[in-house]
Amino acid sequence: MDDPPREAHSCVMELRQGRRAAERPLVSVVDDDESVRESLPDLLGEFGFAARAFSSAEEFLASDCVDQTRCLILDVAMPGMSGPELQRELKLRRREIPIVFITAQREETVRRQVLEQGAVECLFKPFSDTALLRAINSVFHPK
Amino acid sequence: MANWVTGEHYGGNTLKKTTAPISLVGPQLGDVRLQEAQLLSQQKQIGNELDQRVAQRTIELGEAQEELGQKQIERSLVEEKLHQEERELKRSEARNAAILDSALDCIVTIDHEGCITEFNPAAEHTFGYPRDEVLGKHLADVIIPPSLREKHRQGFARYLATGEARVLGKRIEMTAVRADGSEFPVELAITRIPLEGPPSFTGYLRDITERKRAEQELRRSEAFLAEAQHLSRIGSFSWRPGTDEITWSEQLYRIFQIDRDAPVTFELIGTRIHPEDLSIFQEHIERSRRDRSDVQLGFRLQMPGGAVKYVHVAAHIRGDHGQLEYIGAVQDVTERRASEEALSSARSELSHVARVMSLGVLTASIAHEVNQPLSGIVTNASTCLRMLAADPPNVDGARETARRTIRDGNRASEVISRLRSLYGKKDPTIESVDLNEATQEVIALALSELQKNRVILRPELAGDLPLVAGDRVQLQQVILNLLRNASDAMSTVDDRPRDLLIRTELDDNDRARLSVSDVGIGFEPQAAGKLFEAFYTTKSEGMGIGLSVSHSIIERHHGRLWATPNSGPGVTFSFSIPCRPEGLTSDGTRASRMPSVSDADEMPVLRRN
Repeated sequence: MDDPPREAHSCVMELRQGRRAAERPLVSVVDDDESVRESLPDLLGEFGFAARAFSSAEEFLASDCVDQTRCLILDVAMPGMSGPELQRELKLRRREIPIVFITAQREETVRRQVLEQGAVECLFKPFSDTALLRAINSVFHPK
Repeated sequence: MANWVTGEHYGGNTLKKTTAPISLVGPQLGDVRLQEAQLLSQQKQIGNELDQRVAQRTIELGEAQEELGQKQIERSLVEEKLHQEERELKRSEARNAAILDSALDCIVTIDHEGCITEFNPAAEHTFGYPRDEVLGKHLADVIIPPSLREKHRQGFARYLATGEARVLGKRIEMTAVRADGSEFPVELAITRIPLEGPPSFTGYLRDITERKRAEQELRRSEAFLAEAQHLSRIGSFSWRPGTDEITWSEQLYRIFQIDRDAPVTFELIGTRIHPEDLSIFQEHIERSRRDRSDVQLGFRLQMPGGAVKYVHVAAHIRGDHGQLEYIGAVQDVTERRASEEALSSARSELSHVARVMSLGVLTASIAHEVNQPLSGIVTNASTCLRMLAADPPNVDGARETARRTIRDGNRASEVISRLRSLYGKKDPTIESVDLNEATQEVIALALSELQKNRVILRPELAGDLPLVAGDRVQLQQVILNLLRNASDAMSTVDDRPRDLLIRTELDDNDRARLSVSDVGIGFEPQAAGKLFEAFYTTKSEGMGIGLSVSHSIIERHHGRLWATPNSGPGVTFSFSIPCRPEGLTSDGTRASRMPSVSDADEMPVLRRN
């Protein structure tokens, strides 16, 4: 993959140097795929975030992380409650966490739908680390 | 009277007695006697005369009496006749009165001056005048509208003057007027009453308002029908098979583009029927003549310019044996057919889209399965790079992510294997196969579909066909595929029977051959080389996989699959495979003869019911 762009890198540096681990913003990952749950938290850690991974929407909702999560990286198609359903559920609970959707299904209609519902971004798997970082940065450093 | 009657006989004595005193008194007895004799003679003569006259008179009286009786009879006869005539006259008058009273038509009689002398109840009812009110009035002033009165007077005067009649003895239609001033159409016939003296006339009038309306409605309904036939492109006809008398509606002439004046004959009709459909048409006509059955028939017309029309005929037979008649309709379905073809082509495009979409769904599921581990690989590798680029580098973390990258790579490979087993096929099982039996089973399976496509299947299975070695199910898939291809190739064939011949035969002594011949659209010579390539298809809904898979199945049976154009329309596909060699056990070991499953097996092969 490409090297992270300069400004993204500096942002990470700032995060890593300027805050202690406990102060890092929490980014939660919800995906039924194990390789994503394993790989993404490490990458998010490299970006300077605290990260937690959940294998289903239900598991995430039942956890004590909902209130702390500053950004949610959410798979679209999952057994049980799907990503878009979780998006709606959070809206109903007035817990509007910024969401970056990730999906292995390259479907523009789904992408358009979730973006219309207020998602920050919808990335098609496999996505680059820079694309993910750009999406997360738009949450923490809105222009 | 008794004296008179007997006097002739005794008279002398009587007269002698009575005349004696006279002669006694006379002076000369001789003279007296002479005188007496003379007197006597005179008396006698007078008596005789009297007697004669009395007798004469008596005869005359008798005759008169007789005559009188005769006259009396005659008179009573005349009287009787007079009575009879009177009765007749009364009867006739009563009859006339009854006719006048009960006639449905208005009967009005007029005298030579045009004045009304009779006005029957129907006339009273129709015109709204009581009889008494109009008797003696001028006809023209009563029932003729003011605008026509002058004309009527002129015509009447002309007749009286010249005898020239324009209306006498004819049925004419004119407008009449009622007492209330409303006008209405009447049919009128005037006759002169055949009596001597000044001419008089009887007019019979009939209110034809209803008839006019009915006529108008009929005309309108005819116009509607003609317009409907024109719009719907339906013409109607009648045909009497007994006399071949044919009647056409206007629209039918239009459909056939035949001049309206031409008498319709089968010969004339024949000139408009498409040459390829003429025999079918004639056959149906003959059958109708013979069986008197209802007709349902579609055929093509060819116009003088060469344009082709599709028509559909439906006819019922009516009437009894004396005068049977077909009544039917011919519909021009050219446009409907064109739109049906457009629809069917749209449908086939749609089904192509559907097929592509189902392939798209398949692709998406493959993509999803593969993208998951790929995503892990990319993320792990990215993380790995970042860890190594950190200051200081996080080598342990990088090692861990590299390890996970390899594991995800293996997972992706497993996904591919899973797909193979999901969409692929089992290894073939080799057994001795009776190709005829296998073919019969396929026919049984495909028959309803073939019949639905109006395919006429003719099997010609060789009786002495040896067993072949192979995978029964795979060979049956090939046969089914060839049948379906043949059926599809004939789906647009309408001008000939969709004959499909499936034949088995011994080929070169040690090979069995199966061939499937259709009369379909065939293929272009330059396409022959591509027929067995995957994804090559001439069918809009086909994926071009069937023949390619068939080809690989036959190859694995050490056989050959080929196609040759027929001398007539269509194509024959044949395969030829070795017969079961000696030594091959019936439980089908010698799997070594069969090569391993090639990639072609992974394609979604033939549809199976």
